[in-house]
Amino acid sequence: MSILANKDTHVVIQGGAAGLNAARRMAEFRYMIKQPLNVKAFVYPPDTGKMNEVTYGSGLLTIPVYKSVAEATSKHPEINTSLVYIGADRACAGGMEALNDPKIQLVSMITEGVPEKDAKLLARHAIKLGKTFNGPSSIGIISAGACRLGVIGGAFDNLVACKLYREGSFGVITKSGGLSNEIIWICSQFADGISTAIGIGGDAYPGTDYVTYLEKFEQDPQTKAVVIVGEMGGDLEERAAEWYGAKKRRVKLLAVVSGFCQESLPKGMKFGHAGAKEGMKGEGSARSKSDALKEAGAIVPDTFGALGPAIKQVYEDLVKSGQVRPIPELSPADVPKLPKTVEEGMKAGDVMVAPLIKTTISDDRGDEPCYDGYPASELINKGYEIPHVIGLLWDKRLISKQEAEIIKRIMMLSADHGPCVSAALTTIVAACAGIGLSQAVAAGLIMIGPRFGGAVTDAGRYFKYAVDNRMTVDDFLAHMKKNVGPVPGIGHRVKSVRNPDKRVKELVSYIKGLGIPAPHLDFALAVEKVTSAKKENLILNVDGTMAAVLVDIGFPVDSLNGFFILSRTIGLIGHWVDQKRQESRLIRLFDYLVNYAAPKRREVPPLK
Amino acid sequence: MAKVLEGPGMGLMRKWGISVPSYVVVSSAEQFDQLAQANDWIQRGKLVAKAHEALGSRFKLGLVKVGLDLAGAKAAVREMLGRQVGSITVSQVIVSEMVPHKDEYYAAVKSTREGADVLVANCGGIEVESNWDRVKRLSLEVGTTPSPDALEKLAKEAGFSGTLAKQVADFAGKLFACFDGEDAQYLEVNPVVAREGDGALVALDAVTLLDADAKFRHPDWNFQYAAEFGRAYTQHELDVMAVDSKIKGSVKFIEIPGGDTAMLPAGGGASVYYSDAVVARGGKLANYAEYSGDPADWAVEVLTDKVCSLPGIKNIIVGGAIANFTDVKKTFGGIIAGFRKAKSEGKLNGVKIWVRRGGPREKEGLDAMRALREEGFDIHVYDRHTPLTDIVDMALQKSK
Repeated sequence: MSILANKDTHVVIQGGAAGLNAARRMAEFRYMIKQPLNVKAFVYPPDTGKMNEVTYGSGLLTIPVYKSVAEATSKHPEINTSLVYIGADRACAGGMEALNDPKIQLVSMITEGVPEKDAKLLARHAIKLGKTFNGPSSIGIISAGACRLGVIGGAFDNLVACKLYREGSFGVITKSGGLSNEIIWICSQFADGISTAIGIGGDAYPGTDYVTYLEKFEQDPQTKAVVIVGEMGGDLEERAAEWYGAKKRRVKLLAVVSGFCQESLPKGMKFGHAGAKEGMKGEGSARSKSDALKEAGAIVPDTFGALGPAIKQVYEDLVKSGQVRPIPELSPADVPKLPKTVEEGMKAGDVMVAPLIKTTISDDRGDEPCYDGYPASELINKGYEIPHVIGLLWDKRLISKQEAEIIKRIMMLSADHGPCVSAALTTIVAACAGIGLSQAVAAGLIMIGPRFGGAVTDAGRYFKYAVDNRMTVDDFLAHMKKNVGPVPGIGHRVKSVRNPDKRVKELVSYIKGLGIPAPHLDFALAVEKVTSAKKENLILNVDGTMAAVLVDIGFPVDSLNGFFILSRTIGLIGHWVDQKRQESRLIRLFDYLVNYAAPKRREVPPLK
Repeated sequence: MAKVLEGPGMGLMRKWGISVPSYVVVSSAEQFDQLAQANDWIQRGKLVAKAHEALGSRFKLGLVKVGLDLAGAKAAVREMLGRQVGSITVSQVIVSEMVPHKDEYYAAVKSTREGADVLVANCGGIEVESNWDRVKRLSLEVGTTPSPDALEKLAKEAGFSGTLAKQVADFAGKLFACFDGEDAQYLEVNPVVAREGDGALVALDAVTLLDADAKFRHPDWNFQYAAEFGRAYTQHELDVMAVDSKIKGSVKFIEIPGGDTAMLPAGGGASVYYSDAVVARGGKLANYAEYSGDPADWAVEVLTDKVCSLPGIKNIIVGGAIANFTDVKKTFGGIIAGFRKAKSEGKLNGVKIWVRRGGPREKEGLDAMRALREEGFDIHVYDRHTPLTDIVDMALQKSK
């Protein structure tokens, strides 16, 4: 047996994320005692109609979210308890809604910072209806082996360590959430554990006080003793003392009260919970409470630390008098365990997982990313630059200073080529249509292909093929004509021998000036000599030049288009930002720029 | 509980129809001169000047001056502003009209478990404190309002009669309306006086304690709360309050000058037991602190920094019960970061650190604390098997 929360408690949780977290904790408890989850519904209007996911053991339960408590209890008539996790400004209305539901008998409010007046109104309303209102600021209620309401009891390991999977003989009532857990632990170490532990909340006027719960414990045959953890302020402890002293009680009462430090502090300085405020003329002080409890016959140790031995003494007396029979400990194999998560299992070496993807270039698992094993910050601090990062991530090697300089120049030359080219125009049209940065830039990038900017990879591939196979220019051109078609990297829409591309000249003369071996560039230039003699615009274009140079410095053929994509992205972002800055309006093509070659307007024949 | 100074307190009472003297709150002599020109009553009548600070015994300190004319009030304002009393600097003076009267009365409304008590007495000022049996009480259930008849009966019980009884009942009714409407926890008017001439009841002095938790429904509470212990908040305390207002969970910090045992415990309940243990073992608290409700690690780091900055400390008590949901590893991460920072600033020389804690991820958190030994910290770490306050016993034995 236990009080307030038991095997027949069925719960609706009012609230959002905090309520869901509580449900998950409650599911851990129910899994530990091998009982189905007792949270039947949530009430949270913004999520009406959704299903909340709650892990239970190794499975996943879905619990419906309703708009109102009435809807929840009509769909789940077994509900008799509500936990309120609603924000302080709406807590009163939420609590009233639950109290007014005929099915609900117990409302426990976890919300902190509820105005005093609201708490009093809720308490009065509950008394009128003959129901129980617990809290606000309650950590929860837990009955060992039966029911957990809220997060009281902490993590799963702690539930097990405190033997909350089976009933003990000690009732607990505390204002403090943290100390409720501490007392539960002490009861499990120095005695046989708890029957029920209740957090009544640390507010000045808890909805239900010690006396009401002491009366319930007194009626509960399982509970042999009750531990109260009190605080200075108010008169709840005095009332408890009065109750205990009024007549012979079946339960033993143990109590500690905090706030003695107040006596040696500057006047008016108050600590701890809202309820822990010094009363007038010594009333409500820790000393007066402690004295009242002692006089009433309660066991009141001088310090919190002495509470454990005092509980042990009471327990041993109960065993001696035959009122309590010691509970045999579970064998280690029978101690409840929560299924491990995959992460925990892997850490413990218990499971083997086949990876879904494999990466060979970067690792994000430390405090900073590593590129091919090198920490980003170390690269920065040792003077490496963007081209080196490209080398690491695209070709898994730390390129030389000279190679980095070549890549930098390639990128600078191809970063942009004005608004008229396919990619920039597309990005601008998109920007003017109000499309966001990433989509507009992506639209521009889509234009990069065989006819625009996307010939670098193919050019590199064929130049490499020719050089690897020691082909002559004539053999190469014949091979291309027969098997491929126009030579990628050769030819330009507007540039020609007489109107050369300055970018190509720049790059070629830089490489030549370095005096490094450049077999692919040499070959490409030799090809140009032949093709441009045939037709003026069949010159080595910027794609072809980049391709030859990049193959010369060892970049893999498949990465080559990347250099153009990366460089041109700089320009496309610029175009998008530029349009945005100008607040450009939607644009459309003028019809005089279209050759309307569609059939003239004609009559639609009757549908046959 | 939030204490409100006289100025805003009287403003709230006036809002609910209670007569209060005309008053101005000024923070400079120039401001007073300007207001004097704009307000007829300042130029003509007799005035009272009081330091507008959360100070007790203002009269004894010479921070209340009565019966002043305009020149006298100007002088008083000039003299009081900038006066240093303990840690408080007088930064505001309230100047109000002096209300000529003969008799003084007492009225208050006080929050009780069931609702509220309305208190009246037919004596006021210091007299009421020595004649507490003359204070009569009407207890009300929350959600109810006292009827005019009930209030008149109360006034008569307190010794008022005739029209004065009706007036007192009306005054108490308005005071209750103010209490209820403003989510007050305590309102006291002492004295209530009958103004010479028209005999109207006027509230001369107000003690106002509001329920800070109800601020969400009072957008017109545009005033600052006053510190409740007779001194201004220190900069460190204000820093922690600023952090507290920004986070989920809470961090709290109050300095106690002259102590040598610094507190950095978790939880509103356990923290007080730790403080009690220090006092019980003859230690002197250097502060009160608390973090609870799984606060962000950076917030705990700020709190740690403040604790480590306390002067003359010998021990730091990092105590805590077995947490329900506060992540021990995460919050200890904030404390450890704070300790390292303090150490790098040379703050923790000769300071012993005592740790006891349980809760989610307790092992990881405690292991991380223990590892600080290798960084040269004098740190002693215990888990749930050591009773809550035993670290205080150990700390204070060793330092003796």
